[in-house]
Amino acid sequence: MAISKIENKTAVKIALLEFLRSKYILYAISLILFIIFWDISAKMNGRFLPRPWAVLMELINGINEPIAGKILIVHLWYSLKRVFIAYAIAIAIGIPIGLLMGYSKLINAWIKPIFDLFKPMPPIAWISLAILWFGIGETSKVFIIVLGAIVPVILNSMNGIRLIDPSLYHAIRMLGGNSRQEILEVTLPASLPAIFAGLQISLSMAWTTVVAAELMGAREGMGFIIIRGMSVSNPAMIVGGMLVIAVTAWLLSVLMTLLERRICPWKTELEH
Amino acid sequence: MSKVSVTGLTKEFGDLTVLKDVSFEVNKGEFLCIVGPTGCGKTTFLNLLAKLIPATKGTIYIDNEEADPKKHNISFVFQEPSSLPWRTVKDNIAYGMQVKKIPPAEMEARLEKVIDLVGLSDCINLYPNEISASMEQRVAIARAFATNPDLLLMDEPYGQLDLKLRFYLEDELIRIWTESKNTVIFITHNIEESVYLADRILVLSNKPTTVKQEVLVDLPRPRNILDPEFSRIRNQVTDLIKWW
Ligand SMILES: Nc1ncnc2c1ncn2[C@@H]1O[C@H](COP(=O)(O)OP(=O)(O)O)[C@@H](O)[C@H]1O
Ligand SMILES: [Mg+2]
Repeated sequence: MAISKIENKTAVKIALLEFLRSKYILYAISLILFIIFWDISAKMNGRFLPRPWAVLMELINGINEPIAGKILIVHLWYSLKRVFIAYAIAIAIGIPIGLLMGYSKLINAWIKPIFDLFKPMPPIAWISLAILWFGIGETSKVFIIVLGAIVPVILNSMNGIRLIDPSLYHAIRMLGGNSRQEILEVTLPASLPAIFAGLQISLSMAWTTVVAAELMGAREGMGFIIIRGMSVSNPAMIVGGMLVIAVTAWLLSVLMTLLERRICPWKTELEH
Repeated sequence: MSKVSVTGLTKEFGDLTVLKDVSFEVNKGEFLCIVGPTGCGKTTFLNLLAKLIPATKGTIYIDNEEADPKKHNISFVFQEPSSLPWRTVKDNIAYGMQVKKIPPAEMEARLEKVIDLVGLSDCINLYPNEISASMEQRVAIARAFATNPDLLLMDEPYGQLDLKLRFYLEDELIRIWTESKNTVIFITHNIEESVYLADRILVLSNKPTTVKQEVLVDLPRPRNILDPEFSRIRNQVTDLIKWW
């Protein structure tokens, strides 16, 4: 009797420890501690740092109370629309360029020096030129986002082709495959994960850039919300906007991961 | 009648001469083993034979013409893993038959047979990154057997396998070869394995590599490794390569 009681107790203890060690519990604890820390800091310095509660209220208000004529979700939609347009353009131009650069040493030799020259330049550095060329409308924003988003697409498409293990081509050839089968069976699937990784980086790059572009002058969008919060001295609006930006970025990356699992099941199988 | 004939074959990688003026014949239906020190050019030789890389000098003919995997029915079990990561075990093994347009019913029947033969029935739906090195090697072996090749090239195919599996697959290979009367070129490190399998063993030298000696193994099958004649041949080959 007594022994089994002790055993029970240790079992409970072990279960509790396991529970505390579980990843998700730790995530939750970490977040809660952060919010508490945030709240205490805000209480001590309330003028410039809003309390979590105030930010939440601000976000709830934003659901139906317009900011500069548009409710929060519409602002979010504006930013997303710019990202998606620019992203589509970056993919449509970037993947073919990257694939060609990976495929042909000659084409690579032509494009690489120019690409390397522009690659390290932060896209936002183009803003003045973009405004000169395209005005302050949508085009200049989309242009800047394309510049930011296209770099990882090109790089990864190029490496995706270049780093294919030649023994895979050998295997196809020995089984009697022709060059069309080599492309379909090896080149495409083998470069897909790398291309996809590029698309993932590119999307987060695009999202970062849209906010930066909107900070520089826009009447709508998440970057605008932040500027607006500053000009009306409403820190809760600023932090609320930042939160929406962060959550959106996270959701986009989750979306891409799910998509990758669908498209390249052989890559991710081990992780689940 | 010779299935493969190699004349004056030389292969250089830049300054490195790997194969130097190698000549030999492989008869139709023969089981040839090639043994040689690591890095002497065994893999290079098979790659040349399969026309995966160009020769510097010399010729290799299969059935009296240049090798062409689209025409000749060749299978190659590579030394390194070479299954397609995006195909499941089953689809990897089926691929060669798909390329060769084997009718579906026949394909299913052969698939079931070879998968059972290499003992992979439990993991046909797994991807290569989910299976062990030994299993991946067995995928390559099954893939090669499935197309019923006239010429089977095997580059240290059993190196990754444990002893029991190796003995079993050696016997299966001999059985398949006896039934189909195809020609096999089998590269190995393992002298006992070569004496157990081969009609004839080519012993290669160090780089620049030539054929150091041929050893005929004229023993009935299934062979008994305890047979004194078996030991004699094994010792003969061992002596030949002592100088590596
Ligand atoms: N593509 C290559 N470029 C340069 N050297 C190579 C290449 N392939 C093989 N070699 C060299 O040729 C020699 C023979 O290699 P290999 O045929 O793989 O040997 P083995 O299969 O007998 O162990 C080695 O010294 C290797 O370094
Ligand atoms: Mg080798």
